[in-house]
Amino acid sequence: MDLCQTRLQTTSAVFVLCLVILFPRVGLSQEDATQALRKQLGEIQNQLKSALDRIDQLEKEKSSSSDRLGQVEKSVQAVQSAPSALNPSMGLVLDANIQKRGTAGGLFDFRSAELGIAASIDPFARMYSFINGTKDGVEVDEAAAITTSLPYNLTAKGGRFLADFGRFPKYHEHELPFVNEPLSIDRMVGGETQADGAELYYLFPTPFFMRATFGAVNKMGEGNDRIDNTVLRSGSQFTYLGRLNTYFDLTDNHSIELGTSLAYTPSVRLAGDVSGGSRMLNGVDLTYRYQPLGSSVYQGLTWGSEFYANSERFPFDIEVPNEDDPSILETRTVGKRQQSYGGYSYVDFKLNKNWSTGFLLDYAPVIDNPRQRTLSYSPYLTWNISEFNRLRFQYSYLSNNFKADKAEKGNQFFVQWTTVIGAHTHGFLTR
Amino acid sequence: MKMKLLRSKKWKVFLISLALVGLQTGLVFAQQIRVVTTWPALADITRQIGKELVNVDSLATGVEDPHGVPMKPSFVPRLNRADVLVLIGLEDEHSWLPALLEVANNPKILLGRPGYIDCSIGVSVLEAPTLVDRSEGDLHPRGNPHYLLDPVRAKIVAQNIATGLSRNFPQYQATFEKNLKAYTAELDNWIARWEKMGAPLRGVKFVEYHPEWIYLADRFGMKRIGSVELKPGIEPTPNHIVQLVQNIKQDKAQLLIYGSQNPRVPQQIASETGIKVVRLYSGGGNQPETDTYIKWIDYTVRTLVQAVS
Repeated sequence: MDLCQTRLQTTSAVFVLCLVILFPRVGLSQEDATQALRKQLGEIQNQLKSALDRIDQLEKEKSSSSDRLGQVEKSVQAVQSAPSALNPSMGLVLDANIQKRGTAGGLFDFRSAELGIAASIDPFARMYSFINGTKDGVEVDEAAAITTSLPYNLTAKGGRFLADFGRFPKYHEHELPFVNEPLSIDRMVGGETQADGAELYYLFPTPFFMRATFGAVNKMGEGNDRIDNTVLRSGSQFTYLGRLNTYFDLTDNHSIELGTSLAYTPSVRLAGDVSGGSRMLNGVDLTYRYQPLGSSVYQGLTWGSEFYANSERFPFDIEVPNEDDPSILETRTVGKRQQSYGGYSYVDFKLNKNWSTGFLLDYAPVIDNPRQRTLSYSPYLTWNISEFNRLRFQYSYLSNNFKADKAEKGNQFFVQWTTVIGAHTHGFLTR
Repeated sequence: MKMKLLRSKKWKVFLISLALVGLQTGLVFAQQIRVVTTWPALADITRQIGKELVNVDSLATGVEDPHGVPMKPSFVPRLNRADVLVLIGLEDEHSWLPALLEVANNPKILLGRPGYIDCSIGVSVLEAPTLVDRSEGDLHPRGNPHYLLDPVRAKIVAQNIATGLSRNFPQYQATFEKNLKAYTAELDNWIARWEKMGAPLRGVKFVEYHPEWIYLADRFGMKRIGSVELKPGIEPTPNHIVQLVQNIKQDKAQLLIYGSQNPRVPQQIASETGIKVVRLYSGGGNQPETDTYIKWIDYTVRTLVQAVS
């Protein structure tokens, strides 16, 4: 309404101005007419100015009303979606590959569909879980609560999680820069460091990054079937963990990260081993990164190495003379401590935003018979179609100094496809 | 003996003076508010608001890809000691900051806490997607986060920083408000100057590598006709480049703006179309002529004007 009135005023003013310009001399002397014209022009200018101001003001009010309306709408939407807004963030990772292993043949391998869920529990803690579906079934890979507000730079974690041991042992397999977990991790750590227990982290108040981890778990290693995860045990039968991790920027573009880890089980008693004994697994990891700040999305190099040493008693059979008749040899199972050493080293080059390539060298002893070992060489090429869609091509050659299964030796070919939907997080430990 | 005593007294006086100076320096440092910002431009605005009360440290240097800042563990101790964290928000830092905050052991600066100063609050956001789906690329569900390139919106950023600092340190509120008023007035002067300086940019058609320049374009009347990326965060396909080259020729686009991205594709497009290629960073602070917010915007506007004139 106001706008119409203002427009009417403006139109009238312009009409008067036209009349004045067209008929300047009617009934007036030239001087009077000029003065009158000036006066009228001044009035018209004032009217025009006030009209324009009014238009501006109305436009502003209109825009502010729509802003307010927008805010109200948003608030209504927020209230309506409040129950679903409290749902945790979720994501699903599909990891599938086609492979040919030695002379054993090929396979379409549905390796896993991993559902990740995470959210804050309350102001003091958050929780996450990875539920993993594989061709063998569905398993809770991780489900853990982590504190967010402990004093003295402490953080506690409890539940089932990938224990903070080494660097790659705590990666989910699809997060690795190559297709398969190095065989040295598989044999010496027991695959991913899955563990039921608790961990405590301490961030040192130093100007550089240094963090310590202490933990106690039933056992460590998803594939470690030498210890039963479900039975009650004494304090000496838990596995105790420790890790120290530090990092230095050599320059803006170059950095180095170091870690040392320990998993100690005071008493491991394997079937048939009467005496039992402790298990000590040590790890040292070193990672060098070249990440040019201005082009880290397009260029980069990572060189990572890990070495493990395992000391553990294993049962084995010996032949001893019979007590009554020494001429007869009988088989007896005894425990013997075995020391084994292994590890891997890899280098990964980022060629551009989408492509990277690398090479993995892996030395994996058989821990209950360390004279037996597998050496493998794996060049690979990764095509990151996008951040959430990746194809990887890998060739591996496995060389064993013992008679291995047909699928575990010789030439191996893999094409891996990994895709992600939903929320994704880049965890600090797996950066 | 006397000389020894004298020496000893002098020595004591020297040590006491040294201790006092050290103590004073320590007190000055202790009194300063430790601010960590994600980007250098935010660091400068915070310095203008906090002046000598703040000790500001930016995590990114300004040359990084806006969504690809390396997640360095050396950021963790800096975040651990921070009193407040100043960030862009709108998921601009989603690929690196949340994971660092998880290990920084500093509840003061977690999301939702008083020390978490999200500068996007109250900023009128452009390009909020109507369809939030990854088929549209690596989207920011709440809109384009590169609003710092608009100096008018930067006044809201300064206001947010002043409010955030006052929320955490109410005893200095009057100082922050006074500094904010002075900085806003300075920005207003510059904005008037930039509007005059940027007049030749009105109507200029441009192409950008990544959707980073829409706020600046909106302020200076520039018209975007396309992006080198197929979708936000997705590298171009050959077909997309062919189509973009056609569009550039057809619409007579004058500028192609890119920043931390690979120059190969912009140069290829320039060789096919004759479009002028300009490298500008959307984070500020990476070189002496862009080490304050005002110098950065001034350099950006001047560079663009020079490119079209």
